[in-house]
Amino acid sequence: MADLLPPLTAAQVDAKTKVDEKVDYSNLPCPVPYEELHREAFMSLKADNFEGLRFDFTKALNQKFSLSHSVMMGPTEVPSQSSETIKIPTANYEFGANYFDPKVIFLVISCFHVLIVMKEMKMTVNIQLMLIGRVMTDGRMTARVKADLTDKLVVKANAQITNEPHLSHAMFNFDYMGSDYRAQLQLGNSALIGATYIQSVTNRLSLGGEVFWAGVPRKSGIGYAARYETDKMVASAQVASTGAVVMNYVQKISDKVSLATDFMYNYFSRDVTASVGYDYILRQARVRGKIDSNGVASALLEERLSMGLNFLLSAELDHKKKDYRFGFGLTVG
Amino acid sequence: MAAKRVGAGKSGGGEPNILAKISNSEIVSQGRRAAGDAVEVSKKLLWSTGKAAWIAGTTFLILVVPLIIEMDRESQLNEIELQQASLLGAPPSPMQRGL
Repeated sequence: MADLLPPLTAAQVDAKTKVDEKVDYSNLPCPVPYEELHREAFMSLKADNFEGLRFDFTKALNQKFSLSHSVMMGPTEVPSQSSETIKIPTANYEFGANYFDPKVIFLVISCFHVLIVMKEMKMTVNIQLMLIGRVMTDGRMTARVKADLTDKLVVKANAQITNEPHLSHAMFNFDYMGSDYRAQLQLGNSALIGATYIQSVTNRLSLGGEVFWAGVPRKSGIGYAARYETDKMVASAQVASTGAVVMNYVQKISDKVSLATDFMYNYFSRDVTASVGYDYILRQARVRGKIDSNGVASALLEERLSMGLNFLLSAELDHKKKDYRFGFGLTVG
Repeated sequence: MAAKRVGAGKSGGGEPNILAKISNSEIVSQGRRAAGDAVEVSKKLLWSTGKAAWIAGTTFLILVVPLIIEMDRESQLNEIELQQASLLGAPPSPMQRGL
């Protein structure tokens, strides 16, 4: 995931502030990809809280190839008719193989955690070919491929195979990056076709839209999005014909601290959720916390014990359902 | 004896009447109801404040305490580094840090 989230480089920010006064419409910056519109908000609000134990180990065999092992133990929730959640203790082992063919420099990227060492990496990674495969003991297998065909065209493929029917899926994405726009074509199984387009309107504002058509549940939809960003804040909004309205606002207090809030509303099911969260990146740790309108408070602490050894503590309190989830984990490599 | 008895009987007969009158009077029953309500309300209030305090406390424990601890550690680390830098005899770097 980390490779998908390159932060704004200093040059970009400088360029933005410089051409602040006059909008040079022939020289607009390239917008963020449509599916990453809310990435800043998601960074602080969508921390992956877990329950139980988690151990991740990544070993780089050589410059391009690395293996990962992870063990997860703990209760997993089982969907049930009653309002009470039923938890069954489970244990899982996951084996993964990663192959990166980098253009510039090589950095091992943990696919599970946006790392604390983010600021050190600066993420100037420019990967030409990326292959990731994962096998889990419960029979799930995922594969991801990302290939830069040219500087502008990127092909991504995702596939998931499970032993339960109807949950296996495959998806192909073709991304084209223009000078001030991005376009994407998505092809998936069960006759899913989608396209997104996002265009920079001014240096700070970008507008986009999407269409999709799914063959098997015979559905189609359309969506619009807008994103406004300065170097101190990011605001984004998205509306889709499925009835979902998402609004996000992130205030960057400094390069280490950001506060985020989001608002989600579904027009058809009349569900409203709002949440407020913070993201604090320290030298030795990263703390993310969030509280939402359903009465759920959650926090994730990622502490770097030494180089390549991270300790995770996760907590989630659901005051309404009286469901308390705690987890701890270790990431090596 | 008889008169006394009668008197006693009279007084014995009169007092319960008054007591009954008092205890059956509107004010007393209203007062009793009010007291009962007050106890109930204060119980509920206490219970809900307790619950609110519990929720606030646990949320604070989850969201703020780790942050405070980490910030403290960070400042300690900075201090140690500053000390080390001054011990090693690199005067410009702590000055720059201070600025």
